[in-house]
Amino acid sequence: MNWGRRYLMCPPEHFGVLYEINPWMHTEVRVDLDRAREQWDGLVTTLRDAGATVDVMEPHPELPDLVFTANAGIVNGMQFVPARFRHPQRRGESPYDREWFAARGYRIDELPEDVCHEGAGDALPYAGGLVSGYRFRSDAAAHADLSRLTGASVRSIELVDERLYHLDLTFCPLDGRRAIVAPLGWDAYGRRVMEAIVAEPLVLDDDETLAFVANSVVVDSRIVMPSCPPRVGRQLEAWGFDVAVAPVYEFLKAGGGCRCLTLALDVALQHQHE
Amino acid sequence: MPATDVVELEGHIVDSLTLAKVMDVILAAGADYRMVDFVIGKTNADVSRARIEITAADDEALEALLTELQIHGANRVDPGNAELTEVDRDGVLPPGFYSTTNLPTSIRIDGHWVDVENPEMDCAIVLRADGRARTYPMHRVRTGDRVVVGQDGVRVTPSERPRGASPFEFMTSEVSSEKPKSLIVWEVAGRIRRAKAAGGKVLAVCGPAVIHTGAGPPLAELVAGGWIDVLFAGNGFASHDIESNVMGTSLGVSLREGTAAEGGHANHLRVINEVRRYGSIEAAVEAGYVDGGVMYECVKRKVPFVLGGSVRDDGPLPDVYTNVVEAADAMRYLLPGVTVALMLASTLHAIATGNLLPAGVETYCVDINQAVVTKLADRGSHQALGIVTDVGLFVGDLAQQLSA
Repeated sequence: MNWGRRYLMCPPEHFGVLYEINPWMHTEVRVDLDRAREQWDGLVTTLRDAGATVDVMEPHPELPDLVFTANAGIVNGMQFVPARFRHPQRRGESPYDREWFAARGYRIDELPEDVCHEGAGDALPYAGGLVSGYRFRSDAAAHADLSRLTGASVRSIELVDERLYHLDLTFCPLDGRRAIVAPLGWDAYGRRVMEAIVAEPLVLDDDETLAFVANSVVVDSRIVMPSCPPRVGRQLEAWGFDVAVAPVYEFLKAGGGCRCLTLALDVALQHQHE
Repeated sequence: MPATDVVELEGHIVDSLTLAKVMDVILAAGADYRMVDFVIGKTNADVSRARIEITAADDEALEALLTELQIHGANRVDPGNAELTEVDRDGVLPPGFYSTTNLPTSIRIDGHWVDVENPEMDCAIVLRADGRARTYPMHRVRTGDRVVVGQDGVRVTPSERPRGASPFEFMTSEVSSEKPKSLIVWEVAGRIRRAKAAGGKVLAVCGPAVIHTGAGPPLAELVAGGWIDVLFAGNGFASHDIESNVMGTSLGVSLREGTAAEGGHANHLRVINEVRRYGSIEAAVEAGYVDGGVMYECVKRKVPFVLGGSVRDDGPLPDVYTNVVEAADAMRYLLPGVTVALMLASTLHAIATGNLLPAGVETYCVDINQAVVTKLADRGSHQALGIVTDVGLFVGDLAQQLSA
């Protein structure tokens, strides 16, 4: 892939399950902050080992989910389209995200205020444009706006399983022909669209899907995964990839895996010709 | 009562199968859709845009469906409210007035749709003080009337021709002389029966050829049998109808022998002159001067008729409207309730009537000349079905079918 070598991450100093906005979150479940920090550091190391650069943003004491940088927005070259969060609990993140990108010279382009879209968590570059999920966190109506702002085509996929509330829990592009896919999360039309654009899918079964296997980060030929069932690993290796597992169990308590903890900064949509 | 609204859907809706999904969702909900507008993006980055008109069984079903469609990005298009401008001179419409079609129409006032009464083409829409909306011909508007201007907040519902496995369906294709007439007559008779059974009225618009071809007696039978509720014609039709009953000729030609009667060219003038002496057709009937025929049956059965005059009329008969604006208004007055119209060998009166009829009225245009039928359709009466045949034979067969 021509992107995936540079990421934005935010350390879990203030991470915790302080509210419940997806079926994985239970406020009575305690997060072990030391272990979270250990796992986060491990992910950073694994990504850097794979050859990626990691930029780090300052955590904020009142924004526990700021660690999930994938939802900050859409990066397109030096353009940044901040997310519009569905839940008020996360809306406070946007000013910090905007500030971070603006300070680094990014042009900030805003989605209309009456639509929701949760950034790269619900939109991944593929097939010459973006593939974007909708229903739980993002609105289908935002896709046309996103297309207008970025100049990229946006294919809409309806998400139908509440546990798979973001597209990046069901879809992980590997290269121009291949992707890890979790049809459990999509409606019949979405499945047909994915079938049409992914020439060689690695189809996850339901258990694999719910173990966040698709929520992985791809750095060239290395795939950094929260866990990797042997069957999946064998297939990936047969395709020439190698797998690095970076356990992030503490973050799964909030419904996020490796991909959710990272935001690719080297995406340039107009030049997606894969 | 069916409810309709328009939604807009945009994005990569073809690649994403979103458009297909939205259509499926609409049909699955038991509603129907019509693609109002569809623009396909030219490049990969261009979005496509569809405007879809949705009709559901009622307001509640529509609301539920719209909520569901919103999830897929299909949002209701704000149709705006109708813009109203006051008339500042009697009989003159404000510039930019909305010119009506003959289709069912509604206007949006303060966010609510108000149906326009009496759909009629080439009119203006007036919102009356009581909140009802109605079509008004230009000459009827008065200073202070509130008239719809522009297109905003105006909704027109296209009519659909009757569908289904009806043997009549093939007739909707085009006008043709090459169609089995007896089957068509049988179908028209059935339509008239159904219309009458449903409480509708049947209108006959007659040209003088009805009398010339010998269709007078069967048409009189139809009136006598209660099949015709309203009759429009001109001076010629009524004159020759009376002439044929009083003198046995139509425009001087004996209807019995088909030969010209001596001095017959003046027969209709003499008849017109006598009716003028009585003061009206009704008076001539009551006096026994006219004792049969179509006009006689109309008077006897109290079937209302309008005779619209023209420049070339002889006489004319005292009942003929010589002011065409008044004639058109008199015709308008009789149209409510009409659900079937038979245009019988009449060109000018058929077109005049076609202009006044809502598109929902089943209209059959019978003429030996295909051009008449085409002419009617070209002037906007698309609902008219053409039957190219001799009107004398047609009316004779129809009377036989209906009296059977």
